[in-house]
Amino acid sequence: MAAATEELQFLGSIPGPEGAGEVDGAVAEEGRPRGGDNEEILRFMDSVDGYLLLMDSLSSALRQGWLDLASARHSMGPSRVSSTLFDHKEQSAATKLQVVDRDGLKPSEPKPHFALSKWSLQEECHSTYDVSERAFTEPKMRHRGSVTTPENGNYESANTTASSTGADASNHVQRARSKALSVFGGLVSPKLRTAQLSFETALDLIVELANSRSNMLASFSQLKE
Amino acid sequence: MAGRASIPTNNSALIAIIADEDTVTGFLMAGVGNVDLRKKTNYLLVDNKTTVKQIEDAFKEFTTREDIAVVLISQYIANMIRFLVDSYNKPVPAILEIPSKDHPYDPAHDSVLSRVKYLFSAESVASDRR
Repeated sequence: MAAATEELQFLGSIPGPEGAGEVDGAVAEEGRPRGGDNEEILRFMDSVDGYLLLMDSLSSALRQGWLDLASARHSMGPSRVSSTLFDHKEQSAATKLQVVDRDGLKPSEPKPHFALSKWSLQEECHSTYDVSERAFTEPKMRHRGSVTTPENGNYESANTTASSTGADASNHVQRARSKALSVFGGLVSPKLRTAQLSFETALDLIVELANSRSNMLASFSQLKE
Repeated sequence: MAGRASIPTNNSALIAIIADEDTVTGFLMAGVGNVDLRKKTNYLLVDNKTTVKQIEDAFKEFTTREDIAVVLISQYIANMIRFLVDSYNKPVPAILEIPSKDHPYDPAHDSVLSRVKYLFSAESVASDRR
């Protein structure tokens, strides 16, 4: 840590002991505020650290997935768990990405942001904003045991609709997962299902890694200048 | 903003994979597999019969397709086409080197970390002092 600090001092980014009295944000000889450089360096180092931590988590998730896949192959037989079973008929990916260009630190620096859309679920399915609007148009479900009053009747129905929407989404995800595993046959080993979940976790980490990479490269470009 | 390379917003971009059988199988189970009308897939399964040329062609294809946002490539495969991977510098698709069963992740070979590590290298400090 001390060596890294000394190195950054030589690069001119951190004031040495003689500059300790300067106020943060004071302009350096090169005309750039020192405080801003320090923040950028910290942001860059945080992003590198985050990238490495995420990569470590990804390695763990993948290892678990490979282990479960090997267990499934052992119990179901090598011919039943093989990449040759995947057909090459036209099919659309159920899990996709959304890419948005967020303005980088400089106008000339693009900074993409990635978001995962698993099993064709749209973000709006989980939004309570849509739920509250639909509460007035959808038939209200009877909820056993609930006391509805004129004041909180709509709130109760919004909550009920929210839970039914959540249940629908959950059913959709389960159906999509089963469909993805159907290439391996009707009855599959539970280990195959856990392997699927491990690789889904890995996908979440991969999207975070992609965003971390984007942040790292943006900070790096800023520092290079 | 003159000269700014903008990234078009894409709500349904794909994840491409260049990896060994188990890794490809696992991610296909997670729903990322796509086959278009021309039977072109968004993945390449690499085994001991796959040539370096095939890997290069797949990498070039995936990095030029507009419907792909992230390319996952096992690091040991990336090492086979290291020059190509290191010379890639576009923001999208993002290239991520991932570990494989038999080859753990090595940060020293990661192309992104190699690009930024010079900030911490002795050579950059020495050149600034001159």
